[in-house]
Amino acid sequence: MRTYVLGLIANRLGSSALTLLIVSFAVFFATAMLPGDTATILLGQAATPEAVAGLRAAMHLDEPAFLRFARWLVGLLHGDLGTSYVNNVPVADLIGTRFVNTMRLAGITTFFAVPLSLALGITAAMFRGSVYDRVVTVLTIGIISVPEFMIATSAVLLFSVYLKWLPALSFASDATSFAQVLKIYAMPVITLTFVVSAQMIRMTRAAVIDTINTPYVEAAILKGASRWRAVLLHALPNAVGPIANAIALSLSYLVGGVIIVETIFNYPGIAKLMVDGVSTRDLPLIQSCAIIFCVGYLTLITFADIVAILANPRVR
Amino acid sequence: MNDKITNWTASDDAMVENAIRRGATRRELLTMLLAGGAALSAGGLVLGRATNAVAATPKSGGNLRAAGWSSSTADTLDPAKASLSTDYVRCCALYNRLTFLDQGGTVQMELAESIKSGDAKVWTVKLRSGVTFHDGKSLSSNDVVFSLKRHLDPAVGSKVNAIAKQITDVKALDPLTVEITLANPNADLPTILAMHHFMIVADGTTDFSKGIGTGAFKMETFEPGVKSIFSKNPNYFKAGGPHVDSFEFFAITDDNARINALLSGDIHLAASIKPRSMKLVESQPGFALSQTTSGNYTDLNIRLDLAPGDKADFVMGMKHLINRQQIQKSVLRGLAEIANDQPVPPASIYHNAELKPKAFDPEKAKFHFQKSGLLGQSIPMITSEAPTSAVEMATIVQQSGAEIGMNFDVQRVPSDGYWSNYWLKAPVHFGNINPRPTPDILFSLLYASNAPWNESQYKSEKFDKMLVEARGLLDEAKRKEIYGQMQVMISEEAGTVIPVFISNVDAISANLKGLEANPLGGMMGYAFAEYVWLDA
Amino acid sequence: MTTSTALSRRPSYRFSWVGMIGLSIILFWALVALLAPHIVPYPVGEIIDEDYFGPMSGKLLLGSDYLGRDMLSRIIMGARYTVGISLAAVCLACFSGAALGMAAAVIGGWFDTVLSRLLDALNSIPSKLSGLVIAAAVGSSLGVLVVMLAVIYTPGAYRFARSLAVNVNTMDYITVARTRGEGISYIVFSEILPNIIGPLLADFGIRFVFIVLLLSGLSFLGLGVQPPYADWGALVHENIGGLPFGAPAVIVPSLAIASLTISVNLLIDNLPKKIRDRSA
Repeated sequence: MRTYVLGLIANRLGSSALTLLIVSFAVFFATAMLPGDTATILLGQAATPEAVAGLRAAMHLDEPAFLRFARWLVGLLHGDLGTSYVNNVPVADLIGTRFVNTMRLAGITTFFAVPLSLALGITAAMFRGSVYDRVVTVLTIGIISVPEFMIATSAVLLFSVYLKWLPALSFASDATSFAQVLKIYAMPVITLTFVVSAQMIRMTRAAVIDTINTPYVEAAILKGASRWRAVLLHALPNAVGPIANAIALSLSYLVGGVIIVETIFNYPGIAKLMVDGVSTRDLPLIQSCAIIFCVGYLTLITFADIVAILANPRVR
Repeated sequence: MNDKITNWTASDDAMVENAIRRGATRRELLTMLLAGGAALSAGGLVLGRATNAVAATPKSGGNLRAAGWSSSTADTLDPAKASLSTDYVRCCALYNRLTFLDQGGTVQMELAESIKSGDAKVWTVKLRSGVTFHDGKSLSSNDVVFSLKRHLDPAVGSKVNAIAKQITDVKALDPLTVEITLANPNADLPTILAMHHFMIVADGTTDFSKGIGTGAFKMETFEPGVKSIFSKNPNYFKAGGPHVDSFEFFAITDDNARINALLSGDIHLAASIKPRSMKLVESQPGFALSQTTSGNYTDLNIRLDLAPGDKADFVMGMKHLINRQQIQKSVLRGLAEIANDQPVPPASIYHNAELKPKAFDPEKAKFHFQKSGLLGQSIPMITSEAPTSAVEMATIVQQSGAEIGMNFDVQRVPSDGYWSNYWLKAPVHFGNINPRPTPDILFSLLYASNAPWNESQYKSEKFDKMLVEARGLLDEAKRKEIYGQMQVMISEEAGTVIPVFISNVDAISANLKGLEANPLGGMMGYAFAEYVWLDA
Repeated sequence: MTTSTALSRRPSYRFSWVGMIGLSIILFWALVALLAPHIVPYPVGEIIDEDYFGPMSGKLLLGSDYLGRDMLSRIIMGARYTVGISLAAVCLACFSGAALGMAAAVIGGWFDTVLSRLLDALNSIPSKLSGLVIAAAVGSSLGVLVVMLAVIYTPGAYRFARSLAVNVNTMDYITVARTRGEGISYIVFSEILPNIIGPLLADFGIRFVFIVLLLSGLSFLGLGVQPPYADWGALVHENIGGLPFGAPAVIVPSLAIASLTISVNLLIDNLPKKIRDRSA
């Protein structure tokens, strides 16, 4: 078993390198398709042809884009994320603190969202068809069908503007005590929990129901096992694969998909950073962010796969 | 702005403010108000509001927090590259200009003690003595030479390269005297030097990340796209110095989030809010709106060298089809002044008040469209969120067109890349022009035959000649007359439809005092941090 | 199925009343979308109200929006975009995702590896950023919007279908079918699909919600349907300034989105057992 899992990880590392390379090229071609380059964007309304040419030369943007991309790729192999075109700062410095911020927000949200979703999903499945199940189902769908910016704005209006309990902005650097951390993170975490939990609840419920219907769980119940026992010991292990997958996908959203939450709460994370990169055509920055999102995503799904295999040996 | 006056709209407020700026006496103002139908008591209120900034005594101390509306990793502390309001605010806190414009639009000296010229071509600038940079170095003429010459180097990427090109030489005569030579006479040089980009940096600066200037604040931390923190400069050369101890500035791009941050007490000032948010601020006690009408406008550009704009009747039709009143009333909720298709704002002393805006007249428009043979065709119209309120304006034109059988295919394109891909390029599109201090700058940037941003490709030799003639004139009356005629030419001949001048509205908390209007833009021409104070 | 436990097994085409409610709401919106241009009281772009965020009144049944336009007309026209775009995109995404996922699970080997890596790569870029880049590069017409949303959500559907199919693929009856010499398409559609259709439909429902949401998220970034039209998410966004006043302009489109997404999921959850649980 252990050697198998190790082999799988090794295999995954190899294929991850391939995925990263694909992402890198895809991002390069997508960026190349975007109209305009860093010099024209920076000059904006002042982009006269000679001003553009001058700035392009000063920023070393006059050599072919593919050459610059290839150079960045080689640098990446040496662990160098390159230098931002826009402000000449190493990309690693730009990303540094913002990456930590993103991971912190993702971590705190996971801490609350995953146990909550599992509990709601499993119980809803056990009492399938009951009023409780209906309420959970309608509420989860109802809540996620409200656009993110609506949840966030409502939360700010309620907790910041009217009740004045929480700050409307989340400046990560202001946090000096645990109480402050709670205050600062409360609203983004509430918003994101709403956003990511629904899929996890739905998928957990569906997967557990599916396995409850299998003959051996029914047999267990017929043999006199309690419902709890049947579900937790017999049904759940078989449902772990799809559940882990759903959790991994939801969590990967927290790495790069929280642009709206970052914007509304003015939280300095990397999603906003990549949007900045795209709008200034800052290739090294875009590429580095894409690689981070990809690594995060691959780590999560590989982890999900390993969990699935450990839980259901037949997949081997 | 919390007190309501019947029939009194924000545009009337602006009118009074402008009159005050033009130097009208109180008596004239009251006459004006009475003519406008406002009760005498109401008139007193308005005047009180427009002049209330003068009364109070500044308080010292406190941490000022303010939020602009745009910020990214492209944020810079290099005044030459500054492009967004956020950059201007930071640069105003850190650096000084040779001159600046007060709320009446008059040139005042800042780092310069005097700027003189006999022929408007060769100018002598005397610098103030005893001014030091944040790192202790004294200000000298070499710093000024370096700061001005930078704009001529294409590698710097200066935003005012086009304007700076008229400077042929800058030399230091002695440690506190600089001589500036222009290619052609330009009487507006002192005003030009008041533009934000012409801030003075230390000689030889290449790394701008430290923000070393002579300004009221020192840089503490600067994170592009996140926030900046400044502390009071104890050695500031202006008497009194800044009132607040520290200043924190960042951007909240979402309009509602910015206002909510203000209402929850997280910030003292939320810059440039949308008209649709005014109701909310007005409904809350302890907050106020500060309005500036300074010549910012969003215009509908019809290129005269491409179809359909090559038919003069199409352009004329558009000028009658655009419902200026509705744009002022519905889109901007009164926070605008009706404009007459030319760029010189009513607050300017050169504004031609004789020139009336074209009336909204769908039948006349239909007549012109018919004459141009374009009635019934579908005309693509490019719009975007990038120029302020352009999407709403496009919708209004589209709707008016639909009623007379003229179809506009409104295409909203992403704001990302709008300025480099659509602006100036598409046959019918929207643009947005920031306030510029003089008609000369507006005309040379936007309407001269060789103008870099000739939005409608307007070409007129007569116009070009008048521009050069007026530029060198030191006789104000003569100048005003020529500029007046040029405004008529633009309004009648160019393809730029300028429906309204858009007011900028900053929402502030009631304990923020000392904020005044400024012709260079909102937030006191972006320099508010130095002048405002926090009342406990 | 209303009160049956998980264990009951009575295949029938009987519809539960909850499913009926879901179905009727969907049909209602579909009808509104189809008839939209004929039933709007005012042109969508016309400014009727002097005031903005106006309340419900006899003249404007659902009040006015931030420009003073009739909200009822805007919601009716918005139904076309939200229902149309989202349904088209979700069908495309789920069909191609499921088909590829099951094929990958059955075929395995290189086909599986390459396809999985390719779609992983696509999936790892956050959806709003992909949307932003695509719209900036090729513009945002309706066709582009549908394809873009479908492409963004295909990898998720693929992963989900594949993980389910891999599980089923290890079952004995698949091995039997294989040794019988059945073709790939037979195994996929006759052996695997019926066994995973339940979770796949649940996935379809949730993905539909996500597409509706992404569409509104794109409006936050300034992309999406062309003015004067707007999908419901864009209506919520452009009128969110009315939230503190409880303006119908922001509440009603939110309710419209919720009613549609909840009904789609209720319908799927309550489909007749015959369709849902063919494995049982």
